[in-house]
Amino acid sequence: MNATERGLSRRGLLKILGVASSGIAASRWLGPDVTMAQEPAPGKAIETFTGPGANLHWNSVGPYVTEPQKVPLLLLTDRPVQLETPRHYFRTAFTPNEAFYVRWHLEGIPNSVDLKNWKLQIEGNVSKTLALNLPELMHKFKPVSLAAVNQCSGNSRSRLQPRVPGAQWGNGAMGNAMWTGVRLRELLDMAGVKSGSLLVQFQGLETGPGPEGLGSNLFLKSLELGNPVLDECIVAYLMNGEPLPMLNGFPVRLVVPGYFATYWTKCLTWIRVLNAPDENFWMKTGYRVPDTRRGNTTPEDVKAGKVKTVPIERLPVRSFLISPDGSSRIPAGMNVTLRGIAFSGFGRVIRVEVSDDGGKSWMAAKLGEDLGAYSFRTWEASWTAKSPGRYSLAVRATDEKNNTQPDEPVWNPGGYLWNRIELQKIVVGNAS
Amino acid sequence: MKNGVRAIFLVMCGLVMAACLVYADLKKGYYSPAELGSLRQAAPIELLPDSNYQVSAYPVTAVDLAPGDGLQDIQIYCNTCHSPGYITMQPPLSAATWEAEVNKMNKTFGAAIPEENTQKIILYLQAHYTAETRKQ
Repeated sequence: MNATERGLSRRGLLKILGVASSGIAASRWLGPDVTMAQEPAPGKAIETFTGPGANLHWNSVGPYVTEPQKVPLLLLTDRPVQLETPRHYFRTAFTPNEAFYVRWHLEGIPNSVDLKNWKLQIEGNVSKTLALNLPELMHKFKPVSLAAVNQCSGNSRSRLQPRVPGAQWGNGAMGNAMWTGVRLRELLDMAGVKSGSLLVQFQGLETGPGPEGLGSNLFLKSLELGNPVLDECIVAYLMNGEPLPMLNGFPVRLVVPGYFATYWTKCLTWIRVLNAPDENFWMKTGYRVPDTRRGNTTPEDVKAGKVKTVPIERLPVRSFLISPDGSSRIPAGMNVTLRGIAFSGFGRVIRVEVSDDGGKSWMAAKLGEDLGAYSFRTWEASWTAKSPGRYSLAVRATDEKNNTQPDEPVWNPGGYLWNRIELQKIVVGNAS
Repeated sequence: MKNGVRAIFLVMCGLVMAACLVYADLKKGYYSPAELGSLRQAAPIELLPDSNYQVSAYPVTAVDLAPGDGLQDIQIYCNTCHSPGYITMQPPLSAATWEAEVNKMNKTFGAAIPEENTQKIILYLQAHYTAETRKQ
């Protein structure tokens, strides 16, 4: 007689033993161990503000909210809408539209656009004023596609010391998408920019209740006509191959590759050629940075009126570790993959390095697919922590202009241009 | 028969091990939806095949402002242009920074808050949202 026939095989027995000794079954035998949420580890909410020290969380600290066409995102403010993208959505080179961060300036945000009436207007100091509807934009011009990072000027503002007022973003006021649309240059050429013109101004459908002529009434941005970035700009009607979410600027938004998002006018409706300087608040006063290395200054110099400012422009080089995110321990000796993204507005990322000793020693990470100079570039590195303990992982990127992220903070009164090397604490546990 | 003896022996061993060693633990916890931060799903909106592209209204969320003198002025004047979440989102700011922020609303953004109310708003923010005074 063999064991199988007796219905109690050795394997079966081992199975029973395994279950019996697993403790899961043991506690079932003893009745469920039900804990009332006295110490609700996963459910305990974090404070919804940080400071006066720096925000130490990767993201901002507001609650999750669901806005139209969006998955739950982190709320900064609801009117106007400002939403941050949670960290894990940056595992991929392209940020999903429904998770893409949102930042408006004025409370009058369109939530409907009638394409029967909507037209993109090219006006001002031009030979021929144009008014183009969406089918004309889609079919009269050759569509061009470009991967580009859209990052808010104030991304990571909550890192600054001393803290500055403004939207208290963590690191998630950024995203990368494949933008498809019409070259801005083609539109300008078709309208015919007259000689003596200085700037191109952009206006979207956003409005505020403030008095006419002030920054609380209209959000206006402009770029100099001599700026070579104009040749790279796209008026995009597709974002990752889909129509833009309303909160990201449906039906079209301006894409200014390598530049901060302040220039990427949402619901772009007026392109205006100016022959005089743009004196509006959002150019003359807002979104300006000290004319110094990395835009750095001090509160003392600001108070003394010593700081000369210029409009913010390109994205300084940055990189992020996305996973592991420090929310769980890693067993010692286990080989894990560190993953993240890097980008620069000054040219393609050519090197990403990681450190497990807080930046004392560095090793090269493997770069992912090159999706273009202005895209996120993914990277990964294999890492084994031999012994248990607390590790400080760091990541830094270098772009083709040889700009490398420094381990030094940035401070300016607007809270712009933060690109310090990021640190992530990781706890490595005993593996046996 | 040999197998039978071994089986009994192994079962005995198993019971002893189960009593002595716990390889894993299972805890069940009851949490309220609020404790879990759970969000209900938004209902899809009905779409028509016409030219008007619309989404549902952008939700306005409740903001828990500190009770105190001046709160009403905040709700009337600050609320005109933006949600009071702009206040609660900030880190604790100095009394001077709060004063500068409110003055910026009047001078730069044309808020035209009457002088008396402007002062009440500044005092309220300083009384509840500086490093020394912030409680929530």
